[in-house]
Amino acid sequence: MTEPHRTRARSKMVALVAGGSVAAFVAAATSVAAQDIRVWSGYPELEPFYAHVAEGMKADHPDLNVTVEAINLRDHERRVALGLTSGEAAEIIEMASALAPRYLENDLYNIAPDEVAAFVTDDANFGAFFEDGASFGGTVYGMPLFRGQSALYYNTDMFAAAGLDGPPTTMADYDTYAEALTQRDASGKPTVSGWSLRLSGGGAGITEKFNINMFQHGGEFLERTEDGKWRAAFANEAGRETLKQYLHNLYTTKTVAADMPADAEAFERGQTAMFIRESWVIGDIAAKAPDLNYATATLPVGSIVSQVNLYVTGEDEAEAAAWDFVMATQEPDNLLWLLENVGWLPNRLGLDYAPIIEKTPAFEAYVQYPDDYGFFTNPNVGPVEEIMARFAAQLERAFADPSLAGDDAAIDAVLAEAAAEIDGILEREGLLAE
Amino acid sequence: MLRRRRWIFSVVAILPVLAIFAYVRVFPITEILRLSVHKWDILSKNKPFIGLSNFRELAGDPLFREALFNTSIIAFGVLIITVPLSLVLAALIFHRTRSRFAGFYETTVFIPHVVSLVPAAMAWKWIFDAQLGPLNALLSVFGVEPKSWLFDPVLSLVCVIVLCSWQALGYCVLIYLVGFKNLPHSLYEAAKLDGASGLQSFRFLSIPMLKPITLYVSVITLVSAFNVYAQVYVLASDAQGAPGRQVRVIVLDMLENAFRNYRVGYAAAEAVILLLIVLFLTLIQFRLLRERRGAA
Repeated sequence: MTEPHRTRARSKMVALVAGGSVAAFVAAATSVAAQDIRVWSGYPELEPFYAHVAEGMKADHPDLNVTVEAINLRDHERRVALGLTSGEAAEIIEMASALAPRYLENDLYNIAPDEVAAFVTDDANFGAFFEDGASFGGTVYGMPLFRGQSALYYNTDMFAAAGLDGPPTTMADYDTYAEALTQRDASGKPTVSGWSLRLSGGGAGITEKFNINMFQHGGEFLERTEDGKWRAAFANEAGRETLKQYLHNLYTTKTVAADMPADAEAFERGQTAMFIRESWVIGDIAAKAPDLNYATATLPVGSIVSQVNLYVTGEDEAEAAAWDFVMATQEPDNLLWLLENVGWLPNRLGLDYAPIIEKTPAFEAYVQYPDDYGFFTNPNVGPVEEIMARFAAQLERAFADPSLAGDDAAIDAVLAEAAAEIDGILEREGLLAE
Repeated sequence: MLRRRRWIFSVVAILPVLAIFAYVRVFPITEILRLSVHKWDILSKNKPFIGLSNFRELAGDPLFREALFNTSIIAFGVLIITVPLSLVLAALIFHRTRSRFAGFYETTVFIPHVVSLVPAAMAWKWIFDAQLGPLNALLSVFGVEPKSWLFDPVLSLVCVIVLCSWQALGYCVLIYLVGFKNLPHSLYEAAKLDGASGLQSFRFLSIPMLKPITLYVSVITLVSAFNVYAQVYVLASDAQGAPGRQVRVIVLDMLENAFRNYRVGYAAAEAVILLLIVLFLTLIQFRLLRERRGAA
């Protein structure tokens, strides 16, 4: 290489290094200005909602990058437990209010800033029930986002074919309707269930669905005493009537079987005539079975309300950006978008649902209910998941035992054994009422 | 002097591997042993020592007993199916080595082992589906009543055993094939000259000479079958409202207790019991096969 060539090469090298340095500086400056936050969700269907909120924030927060990581609820709960304790969690985390106390006791979520707390405690925004669900020890930690609330879904074509002109209004009606609606093959085996019940699958869901039915019979799962402690409250007439109803449909009238397709999927495929579920099913039906003719109705007595909040972790700019995002979810337009496009019910008061109900009448059963309609929630105790999963295992065994059908004494024995097991867990945790 | 240097070199050479082994194997096991005598909810900084309380509670826990029973049935079921079947399949493939289909046979048997577990389990889930599955459709051709494969307590265990065996078979066949390829030909030729049939050679030569392979294969199969989890998770679904009976196995129970019930100490106690069971069974297998080898 000649000297001029060497000089030229050296100049090129210097220019490249200088150019690279400037580019690196610009990139570094940009990365300092940009703020990345992650949202951990246990409901994959909510991913578009968070993306919609993030999109709406672009004008005021051009450098905010929001990543939504939504997985199924069970895995999400495990991820949160591991992520929070290892300091690797997302900045924004969804969590049911019933599960949050364990985390709040251990200071794993941030206290809401004053303006967020003021928003949550404003009676114009949330009822006391949701405010309590987002607070711990009188301090606001979370933002009430949506709730799971149950209603009956029924296939109007099947109802018409069975000569039924409206939804059941009592629990006795549920039995007779289920019998009329069940479709059978030549051998009498049900091919389309009259009333799809949660009979299998493991986990707390079986208990939750059982509790919804038990509420219609006037019962409750756990009873809280004046001293703030708890005891099992289902080993009584309400519990017996509820379990009896499951067994009656399984083995006496045979309107449903454990191995039949169940839940929203079965309803969307026309494999069941009615079932009880939360409002997200409306969005699911719109996406998967838009031609399905169905309607919704309130339950005979009342519904469960499972409140889900948004909590924040992290520090400094990331925390501030996370709270900004949380507040943005509460924009009325965003919450109405959530209901209309995803189907989960917002908790915020003062939203005008009329245009959505006009477009999708199925939402009416969730937002317009009788004045005396009752609500209950999953017990707000530390070992709630364990308690519900243990009871679910007992129920699953009971559902598989045809000899229990019609045998009140045997049903009582099952419930008494389950109650003793749950009281044992409460005792172990120092939560059992005397 | 040279010997000492060699010894030092050997120790230094092996130290990094030992350090990694200690970090990824020994440390977690000692940590599990320590946690099993503590009460810890994963979130709290407090881990009070509670002695053997977790083990005492496990002894009376119906869900743990169910998980232990199911896991044992699955593990021994897989062992009983996989080991003899893989030995026979390996023998058949080995004796067809010169066939132009030899590669096809080996690939066909090995594919299930390399196929991703979740899609494979999903496919089996469809096969076993009571309403839409081809298995019931096939059985109905022969007049057999449709079965609730994934809901019946016994049949759901059978389904898990079938899936796990289907997966484990390819690996075991591959190991046996390596064993077959290392057997001395002269012995077979001698046996042939003495008038032994192929079946007799297999029975009196191959099986005894493959005992070390059988030991390895059975230990690996049993240990991995005791750790069954993903197959059960997908097949006997935990999904909401899915028509499947949850087959409770130990690893699933451990995960539930640790990360859903926030009882890490209790889950650690389950892990210790699983460890002891696997160690005990492995020792028995070693002893049995060594005794037989000594007797032979």
